[in-house]
Amino acid sequence: MTELLAALGSLFTTPIVPAAFGGVTWGILGGALPGISPSITMALLLPFTYSMGPTTAVVLLASTYVGAEYGGSIPAILIGTPGTNAAAATVIDGYAMKQQGKAGEALGISLYSGFVGGLFGLLVLVGLTERLSSIALAFTPSSYFALGVLGLSVIATLSGESLIKGLIAGVLGLMISTIGTDPVTGLNRFTFDSPELLSGIPPLLVMVGLYAVSELFMKTGEPDWEKASREDARIKFPSRALWRRIARPQAIGSLMGAFEGMMPGAGGAVSSFLAYNEARRWSRHKEEFGHGSPEGVAAPEAANNTVACTALVPMLSLGIPSSNSSAVLLGGFLMHGLIPGPLLFVNHADVVHGLYTGLFVANVAMLIIGYLIMSPCMWLVSRPKPYLMAFIYALVVSGVYAIQTSLFHIGVALGFGVLGGAMKYFKLPFLPMVLGVVLGFVVESNYRRALVISGGDYRTFIEDPIAAGLLGAALLFTVTSVVRRMREA
Amino acid sequence: MLGCATLALASGYYLMAARIQQSDIADVIGPQGLPRTYAALLAVLSIILIVRAVTSTRTQRVRAASPAAASPVTPTRNIPRNVGWRVFGMLMNGVIYILVVPWLGYILSIAALIAATVYYQGGGLNRRVAAVAVGGAFLLWLLFVRLLHIAHPAGIWPSLL
Repeated sequence: MTELLAALGSLFTTPIVPAAFGGVTWGILGGALPGISPSITMALLLPFTYSMGPTTAVVLLASTYVGAEYGGSIPAILIGTPGTNAAAATVIDGYAMKQQGKAGEALGISLYSGFVGGLFGLLVLVGLTERLSSIALAFTPSSYFALGVLGLSVIATLSGESLIKGLIAGVLGLMISTIGTDPVTGLNRFTFDSPELLSGIPPLLVMVGLYAVSELFMKTGEPDWEKASREDARIKFPSRALWRRIARPQAIGSLMGAFEGMMPGAGGAVSSFLAYNEARRWSRHKEEFGHGSPEGVAAPEAANNTVACTALVPMLSLGIPSSNSSAVLLGGFLMHGLIPGPLLFVNHADVVHGLYTGLFVANVAMLIIGYLIMSPCMWLVSRPKPYLMAFIYALVVSGVYAIQTSLFHIGVALGFGVLGGAMKYFKLPFLPMVLGVVLGFVVESNYRRALVISGGDYRTFIEDPIAAGLLGAALLFTVTSVVRRMREA
Repeated sequence: MLGCATLALASGYYLMAARIQQSDIADVIGPQGLPRTYAALLAVLSIILIVRAVTSTRTQRVRAASPAAASPVTPTRNIPRNVGWRVFGMLMNGVIYILVVPWLGYILSIAALIAATVYYQGGGLNRRVAAVAVGGAFLLWLLFVRLLHIAHPAGIWPSLL
């Protein structure tokens, strides 16, 4: 009850409402552009949030995630191309409905299912996060080190096709995290006598470079995407009969999204396909799936927007991002000096409550803006690709400069853009590298701190029950992932 | 190729880590400790990658040489043509922006960046592109300088006035 009052209070004292509306708008526009994922849309906003208050910044970023998950369904339905990976399942029946002249109905189902899923995901987020984090008040440096190792162990799941490549990306991220000042002695490492490198490489630049800049570079010369007609852009509110019919797939999608969203590496794409399959299995109209079934749109869209909230559970409670988008949100937290994890609910409870409120407002905003934004969205998606790419490039460059008014930072972001392009070419996944950069300092500083406290005795990592448990979990996680891969191979 | 590149990187990183100063207040691990560990780890992973690549190449050669074996379908990479040159060109647009912005100032430089990127993306070079570049630059100036109060380089123009 206290938390609810605190959350309601923050609604009137901080610019949460405009931040939520702004984030959702930006997210829908970004998600509607094929190839611009939620993480890129959020990464583009990161430099802008630097001058904002912490609550406003995290609400803006989280709302962008909510909006982008819905926005991806717009081109999925209208032109058969998902705007985001998570909307890939929506294409199957959404585009079929459009071809039957029911585009407005499909868009309406997508919007309302996203709203239902988002609210459910928010309930899960509020219910679970603080309970998980209360355990972590007992953490010591050994425990924090073990938590960092657990975070890094998810690389085994996030490595895509090749575990070795995922591990290489993770180690590269850890190496990048050592640039700057040594956490214990204060000595300079890998700075090449450059004053700009004394404080290391900000994770923000890594994320903007890898996600946004590399995408721009790699998309150069690719053909433009198909354009939708303005007549398709009228959303229809589902009828009562249709609402009853899609209730079950919405419930299935929400449950799938809640569970999968918390799992590292699963994310919106996995949960949306799982939701689609389960909805078909439990449907009374199985034969319609693949041919324009409303249930085939409702289930994945509910799952997508549930994930937008539940993916924040491990990030907020333990400081471990489970997806690219939650990793970018983590970057936003770090930029404002907020360390997600155990002490966030003690030291910055106002920010957390503001985030909960902001996510609620964002889900409501999605309903309103979803109706209003269709025409501008269609206009934007119809712009020639060269103009869109050029404007995004200018936005990235200007935004990165705005962080610390440093041209050097622009160079670093461009460098990571090139690195991201090379990583895509060699099929190295991004998220392990981001994890390495973000968690590298936590791992090293707490590892060495723990050894200083224990006088160099390595048994401290086993004798601390929390550390031992987390290290055991990391080992189990890694081994099961490797065994599963070997079986699949 | 990736394995060789990362092995070279691991070697260079290890050598640089070995040159990090020692400190009297260092702990048992020291500032060199984890960087050396990361370098060793990367080297091991690189060698595994190289060995895998060599063995899979040999396996493919053996299969190709065998008349009885059906030739496996080699999965083609979905990589656009001339991707290296395209990345280089877009990178150069950004690098030139960094070099000219202290001289030309933000508005002119960002307008040039927009125009150059449109041209590089296949949008041509005409009055419409110029209008979009100028309009985009003005919009960004309004957003960053006026709305967010973030100063961007003014260039040499204030000193000339």
